[in-house]
Amino acid sequence: MTAVYETAAAALGTVAFALLFGVPAIYYPYCGLIGGTGWLVYSMLAQSCSEPAAALFATIAVIFLSRIFAVRKQCPVTIFLISGIFPLVPGALVYWTAYYIVTDDTALAARTGFLALKVAVAIVLGIVFVFELPQGFFQFAAKKDRQALDEKGRK
Amino acid sequence: MDDRSEQREVLEAAMLAGHILLENGAEIFRVEETMDRICHHYGIQSGSSFVLSNGIFTTAGNQREEIFAKVQHIPVSGTHLDRVAAVNQLSREIEAGSFTPGEVKEKLNEIQKMPGKPKQMQILASGIGSACFCYLFGGNLKDASAAFCSGVLLYGYLIYLAGPHLSKLVGNMGGGAFVTALCTLMYLLRLGDHLNYMIIGSIMPLIPGVAFTNAIRDIADGDYIAGSVRMLDALLVFFCIAMGVGLVFGLFHRFTGGGLL
Repeated sequence: MTAVYETAAAALGTVAFALLFGVPAIYYPYCGLIGGTGWLVYSMLAQSCSEPAAALFATIAVIFLSRIFAVRKQCPVTIFLISGIFPLVPGALVYWTAYYIVTDDTALAARTGFLALKVAVAIVLGIVFVFELPQGFFQFAAKKDRQALDEKGRK
Repeated sequence: MDDRSEQREVLEAAMLAGHILLENGAEIFRVEETMDRICHHYGIQSGSSFVLSNGIFTTAGNQREEIFAKVQHIPVSGTHLDRVAAVNQLSREIEAGSFTPGEVKEKLNEIQKMPGKPKQMQILASGIGSACFCYLFGGNLKDASAAFCSGVLLYGYLIYLAGPHLSKLVGNMGGGAFVTALCTLMYLLRLGDHLNYMIIGSIMPLIPGVAFTNAIRDIADGDYIAGSVRMLDALLVFFCIAMGVGLVFGLFHRFTGGGLL
């Protein structure tokens, strides 16, 4: 049950940040869906594998969905991507690093800081991998009657 | 397309489109592509543009076409993805339909003046976002409601004080310090149970998600200069937030003799 609440919180949080970044209101549901999915994947995988690996797969899920919706709705992928990836950005780890530095626990600070870096690199890899897929791969998501326009679609 | 003033108008429209995109958080790749598309659609073959994270350089001109050159400095302001979407839509319409360059420029001017979300709504959204992320990272409902309050106050600080009056570094450091002080105060007043989760939730509106994501995408596209500048921007902001949090923690630590943490 906690997983459901958490996913809902992630979705709502993503929508709130989508509003801060000025995403048009019609795209809020998609942003929420993407953010919620990203967190769900992350929290499920975080139990069985390491945090960077979980972040990698969650990022891949987020970007895959973002690209699908971008093709479907014919709008820049940035709109879905930036808010959707927000729950995965290692803000909490940066905080813990600062916390351990202040409490004079240098070893733990170094370990947490390094973990934050690893998660960031995992996110980078996820983004790079999925953007490597050609645009044509996402054509299945396009609306049928607009296919001609989508040929020119950009990533 | 041998009319010189029309050519000039096309290039200026392309420049304006690039300006709006870059200013509002689009990737370099998209800016360059949109400008090229507009130029090509109106038959300008010699146009070429070079885009950095805070400036656009455009030139055109060959034997047949008039020489045109323009450099524009574009300070990065807030992110308005609705404008990016609008310019993207417009560039599709340009390719499909038959706008004159003058009409394109008019439409771009309209996009540039598109009103953002009202401030009260942004402040409310910041509070909701903070509360959600506080809950997500392990806080309970009491912590989340405390994070809501500090998220709301933080965004008020960002809009009315940090945005117009402070530099980016000092603004973020101040934001981190402000949130930490506020959360510690609420924690001492027993308005929340877990100080750490309250702070993590409430610093989320400060996190440079746009700069970070765009930096990665620019680097992946091969725009190394713009990408590394944006990455530096994101890292500096991360660092400043941590500094602000650490500063206030250090002070409290001193006054309370370590009892608080």
